[in-house]
Amino acid sequence: MRAGRSVGVLSAGILLAACSAPQGPYPAREIKLIVQAAPGGTSDTVSRVMASLAESRLGVPIVCENRPGASGALAFSFVARRSPDGYTIGHAPVEIAIVRSLGYADIGPSDVSLICLVSKTAPALVVQADAPWLTFEEFITEAKGGSGGVVMANSGIGSIWHFNILLMEQGTGARFTHLPYGGSTPALVSVIGGHSDGAVAGVGEVVSHVQSGTLRALAVFDAERSSVLPDVPTTHELGYPIGTPAWSGFFGPAGIDEERVAQLADAFEVAFGSPEWAKLCRERGMQPLFLGREDFESFALQQQQFFEEQVPKLVRLGAP
Amino acid sequence: MVTAELLAGLAAVLDWQVLAFLGAGVCLGAVFGALPGLTATMGVAVLTPLTFWVSPEQGLAMLLGIYCGAIPAGGIPAILINVPGTPASIATSWDGYALTRKGKAGLALGINALASAAGQLTSIAFLAFLAFPIASFALRFGPAEYFGLALLGISLMAGVSGDRVLQGMLAGSLGLALALVGLDPMTAYPRYTFGLSEFLDGISFVPVMIGLFGLGEVLSQVSERRARAKAARIEIGRVVPKAADAKSLLGSTLSGAGVGTMVGAIPAAGGDIGSVIAWEQARRTSKDKGQFGKGSLRGLAASCSACNAAIGGAMTTMLTLGIPGDAVSAILIGALLIHGIQPGPLLFANNQAFVFSIVFLLVFACLMIMAVGLLGARPLAKVLSVPPPLLWAGIIVFGTVGSYALNNAVADVWAMYAAGLVGFVFRRARIPLGPLVLGLILGPMMESNLRRALILSGGDWLALVARPIVAVFLAAAVLSIAWPWIRSRRSASRSNLGPPSSA
Repeated sequence: MRAGRSVGVLSAGILLAACSAPQGPYPAREIKLIVQAAPGGTSDTVSRVMASLAESRLGVPIVCENRPGASGALAFSFVARRSPDGYTIGHAPVEIAIVRSLGYADIGPSDVSLICLVSKTAPALVVQADAPWLTFEEFITEAKGGSGGVVMANSGIGSIWHFNILLMEQGTGARFTHLPYGGSTPALVSVIGGHSDGAVAGVGEVVSHVQSGTLRALAVFDAERSSVLPDVPTTHELGYPIGTPAWSGFFGPAGIDEERVAQLADAFEVAFGSPEWAKLCRERGMQPLFLGREDFESFALQQQQFFEEQVPKLVRLGAP
Repeated sequence: MVTAELLAGLAAVLDWQVLAFLGAGVCLGAVFGALPGLTATMGVAVLTPLTFWVSPEQGLAMLLGIYCGAIPAGGIPAILINVPGTPASIATSWDGYALTRKGKAGLALGINALASAAGQLTSIAFLAFLAFPIASFALRFGPAEYFGLALLGISLMAGVSGDRVLQGMLAGSLGLALALVGLDPMTAYPRYTFGLSEFLDGISFVPVMIGLFGLGEVLSQVSERRARAKAARIEIGRVVPKAADAKSLLGSTLSGAGVGTMVGAIPAAGGDIGSVIAWEQARRTSKDKGQFGKGSLRGLAASCSACNAAIGGAMTTMLTLGIPGDAVSAILIGALLIHGIQPGPLLFANNQAFVFSIVFLLVFACLMIMAVGLLGARPLAKVLSVPPPLLWAGIIVFGTVGSYALNNAVADVWAMYAAGLVGFVFRRARIPLGPLVLGLILGPMMESNLRRALILSGGDWLALVARPIVAVFLAAAVLSIAWPWIRSRRSASRSNLGPPSSA
């Protein structure tokens, strides 16, 4: 069904692209939003909700299409190769600043037209609800004392939450045994089942387990306290300024007309101000944060630089 | 107290709008399940946003309907055209398609509908009465236990190869080798990717399945066409099994439901693995082993029952622990959160009525899809009377579109075509395909969990065996590989030396 539709959309798109003159009112037809993750996850939900909220401002439908794979590298490269007419855009998560450093694809924030940023998600350190460590300090002390006796589950080597564990080692002197899983969910399940001692994942991913009493959050890696975990101290107040967040924004192929980028950013800003968006952020533990094009550009380039420096230091890719 | 909650749960469900959403979900799910390439996961994911605008009961009814409808429907193309509609129905195709070729398509579809319903209902009963014991069993699955489960699954390669054990092992090794492609699960080092980003996540399983079974079958039928110029008369036969048949199937259906529920409850293991294990278990305990894979009603009932029982198992883990038991329940958790419902231990304590209404929704969905399956058997089986060239063209078109639709990736379409050629060659060489699929599904699970288990044990292999659940799995795996050999030795010693003096 979906496939049939996307084939139809594709052929209609080709026809229209062939007919329409490059200059004209924008947007004149449907905009395609490429999501780098599978249906159902946070990236997908953010994109679909934002798309449906921004549609009315633009006056044309925004249709989401999922192209998962290679930490998003497939989707980023796909969007970057489209014509920069503003009719194909993509969801830009933090991975767009990482994939080049990991060697998955030669693409980064500097190679695309960034549109705007809409949210940020801080990492949180969690342990089993009946674990002996009640505070971040106690956990770190344990990890410093033992020689790799504390097992940290991560959501995959090279993932944003894995970086945060490595930054935690770097910033506190703790040493962990790393247990890689294929995503945050299996990593958290491993902690709930008592197979590993702790994990770092997005606040939104841990909050439901913390509230239902299966996990205990020891720290949020951020400067400010999280609105969904207000009782959990931040690493900054504990004296360890560590942590790098996940985020959600939008981008298009390099060279989109500036006015069109501004129009898209404006539509997303209107969507950003809606109560629906505020509600989704509350439920998913995301911090609503709007950065327009220029601010997003400087933020994303700064992130790209950060990962280019940190990745070779932190991850020994392929090392046994 | 409990009865009041139970009645409140039932009352919330007995609303015509809720039931209408449930029915719509079941029908949509049947479409998603029956079309190869469109899976239950995709159906639930795509329709989740639509449920934001209706009440929680209505939205949940629709999503559960899709889930319950898709899995039994996945068995329909498996039976009729040998193309599993969802990965869970691979084992269904082994006996189901053989029955179709014998002119018993109607009966196969009838058993699919009935055994699926029996499996689902049994697992829902487990959910209603034994949720917490099952969930705590599922939580005990650490890396070592997953490794044991995967190894047990892989050891069934011999069993699913019929009388071509050596060739089956060869195919299974190929499946394991293909499973190595992609990022190393522990170090993220790219393996066998030839520098292509498309290979970083490994070879997508669904397109390979469509290619091996769908396109491969089409190619082999095309090449055999001359030999079978006088096309067999299309028979559908009876749909509902005879009372005596039904009675003899009860045992394998129930044991399949038990296996399916337990495997489904374990996170990251679902109906695909459960149904293969249940099929092999039914085969081993059956007197007519030779019939399995050639149209055994028992094999069909066990696999259908198990892949549907996995639904109840997955829901158990999801509702009691807030942990997804499979990909679909992962999305369902997101949908529940949006409606302000928090799955986890507190849900059972604070909102029992809601748990009961989920139980009733599952029961109703299950009865609806059973009715759809039984009533639809005859019209659906008409697909067999479509002239073969049209049917082949249809399978190729749907297979191509379905492979693309999965990830919107052209690479998956190529993978499907390549797998189709492999499937064709294997059929001509009489190499069984089942082991290849087992290797491809279970290879990553076995490898990553073995390596995780060794990280945890500090490289100590013996520590793995010391865990009771692992020891049971490993013993069963050894037995399943050694059994044909032990049996042939026993029968040989009997025939050569007379009755053995001692056991």
